[in-house]
Amino acid sequence: MAKYDIAISGGGPGGAYAAKTAAELGLRVVFFERARKSGEKNASGCGLGQRWWRDFPFIMDEIVELDSYREIHFCYFKITDSDDRLVTTISTAKTPKDDRRIQHKDHGYGMTGTSIYRSDLDPLLANLACNAGAELRTSTLITDVIKEKGRVCGLVTEKGEKIEADVVIGADGAHSLVAIASGIRKRWNKDQITLVPQLDFSCNEQRMDDVIGPAELVWFGPYCGAYQVNFRDGFHLGLGQWLDKWDTRPLDMVKRILKIPAFQAMCRSVDAELREYQVHLLPWMPHPGKSYGDGVLLVGDAGGFPCPLEGEGIWHACLTGRMAAETAAEAIAAGDVSEKALSAYERKWKQSAVGREYEFGQEYVNLWKNSAFDPEFMKKMVLFLGEVQSLNFPSPVFDWSDDHMKTFNDHLGHLLDLLPELSDFANHNIVPLGKGISTENRERIAGMISGSIKKKLPRIIPQRVIRSVVGRFLGLA
Amino acid sequence: MDQRDTKGGDFTGTSLLKLTFKVEGADPGEFITYDQSKCNSCGACSLVCSANLWAVKDKAKLSPRYQELCLECAACYAVCENDAIAFRYPNGGAGIIIKHG
Ligand SMILES: Cc1cc2nc3c(=O)[nH]c(=O)nc-3n(C[C@H](O)[C@H](O)[C@H](O)COP(=O)(O)OP(=O)(O)OC[C@H]3O[C@@H](n4cnc5c(N)ncnc54)[C@H](O)[C@@H]3O)c2cc1C
Ligand code: SF4
Ligand code: SF4
Repeated sequence: MAKYDIAISGGGPGGAYAAKTAAELGLRVVFFERARKSGEKNASGCGLGQRWWRDFPFIMDEIVELDSYREIHFCYFKITDSDDRLVTTISTAKTPKDDRRIQHKDHGYGMTGTSIYRSDLDPLLANLACNAGAELRTSTLITDVIKEKGRVCGLVTEKGEKIEADVVIGADGAHSLVAIASGIRKRWNKDQITLVPQLDFSCNEQRMDDVIGPAELVWFGPYCGAYQVNFRDGFHLGLGQWLDKWDTRPLDMVKRILKIPAFQAMCRSVDAELREYQVHLLPWMPHPGKSYGDGVLLVGDAGGFPCPLEGEGIWHACLTGRMAAETAAEAIAAGDVSEKALSAYERKWKQSAVGREYEFGQEYVNLWKNSAFDPEFMKKMVLFLGEVQSLNFPSPVFDWSDDHMKTFNDHLGHLLDLLPELSDFANHNIVPLGKGISTENRERIAGMISGSIKKKLPRIIPQRVIRSVVGRFLGLA
Repeated sequence: MDQRDTKGGDFTGTSLLKLTFKVEGADPGEFITYDQSKCNSCGACSLVCSANLWAVKDKAKLSPRYQELCLECAACYAVCENDAIAFRYPNGGAGIIIKHG
């Protein structure tokens, strides 16, 4: 029986990063992947956020050299109505502030994300681990854990081979055998996990550059939202829903987007060809589940770490992989891999940048659950977004259907009609997020509001009183 | 596959289920098993299966061709609250290949 310090189930981002870290710390580590090669079973967006440049700059230097790499600066929301007509396009912005936020080799990357196929990314990450000295065993399915007196102390392969280790790491994704077999949790509840069907298209690289450029798209309408992630010469179209929310067959949902004329036009403009159909589970919950047990740690999707606002999870998998390996190394060095000792892992990730992701987890999840999955609500939302954009510059200048002030008032009137219908949603789902506004910014807002109120009130009311009333309204002490 | 289906921007007629790939000649093993005596015919497995492999008339029944058609998402296992479905992935190195995931 082979004996390792750490045995890892899963050769995706979480497993590879845990293996790399463990090997760099001088531990004997093996990681197992059921596919013939890392990435061959995995499907995702696959967008890497701007903070990859901050947290993994040297890996990014290699990622930009990969075949499917596309640099991303923008996201365009294509809003369509119940008749599939294009209502408006709303875009993210890019300002000088963004360039200063994240810098690498004197270059600003604050709004520079990345799209890369998993068939490119996963082998790169697995290679980093192997180069650091980790052992990778591919084409090997893990079917059980070894347990002694309740402690997990190894993995069992499909052939019955037993791999002993001081610490086991479950990096085996959304459907994690390690999580369930070790008794940390049962299957996810249906409201904790989403099913994401996805289509892959090939396209003409030059046309993608010229027509869409460095951008992702979101198709947003009464059918809910679908993302389009653009690679060098291909793109993904996908959409997800919690398992307790599906009321249509996933296949029919995807086909719904294919009908939209603006989507078809986009496909024509980049010479798209449909290439592959994929489907994958993605945990999506307010807070990760329990992430440790006796002799065992869970990282990435196995632990439920994806972002509760937009489901990004590769960054979380890599960082939790790193922290799990560090915790395991400390526990092994101290000769104590008990559940209590390994609980240090949870404290570690909670205090890290990963932990901050879940501070508003419940609010983020509610935002989607109470909107995107309700077609009637989405119809109103589409009308609302259309009116907002009609009032926004440059729409009032370009509407020549009547005199400018009349058309402006028409749109404003319609917007005011819609507001009461959406105010319940805003009160329950947007207002609670207000507590995320920093104290510093709230104080500045309070200062501005009380200043302008003071000008309109008789002088006898002292500024102090106005400031305190406004401050209390804005949640300041 | 008909070329017309995948060009010109309109893909509504394309048979999506044909757009998947498998490792040739590798035995995936019996990776989905189910126990009809635990099934209450709720239909959830059939609704969420992206490959339309479950039929629920009296009790849930899995297509006999599942080894060749399953997309390995595990949603049927995840959605069955009666523990009627057991899922493990196919044998290492067998099953689906996702080329552009
Ligand atoms: C459709 C979709 C779109 C997404 N889009 C994005 C995005 O744009 N950006 C982003 O950051 N995240 C995205 N995510 C989330 C992201 O894919 C995951 O959070 C991330 O892959 C988690 O990494 P992981 O290593 O924990 O798990 P995985 O990537 O799932 O890796 C697990 C690995 O373990 C292997 N394995 C599983 N079970 C066993 C076993 N029993 N024995 C041996 N090997 C096993 C698998 O083959 C796999 O290689 C998306 C997810 C989906 C489903
Ligand atoms: S989900 Fe389970 S209980 Fe429901 S029909 Fe399928 S097998 Fe039966
Ligand atoms: S694993 Fe997914 S594709 Fe396969 S039978 Fe179950 S639900 Fe269908």
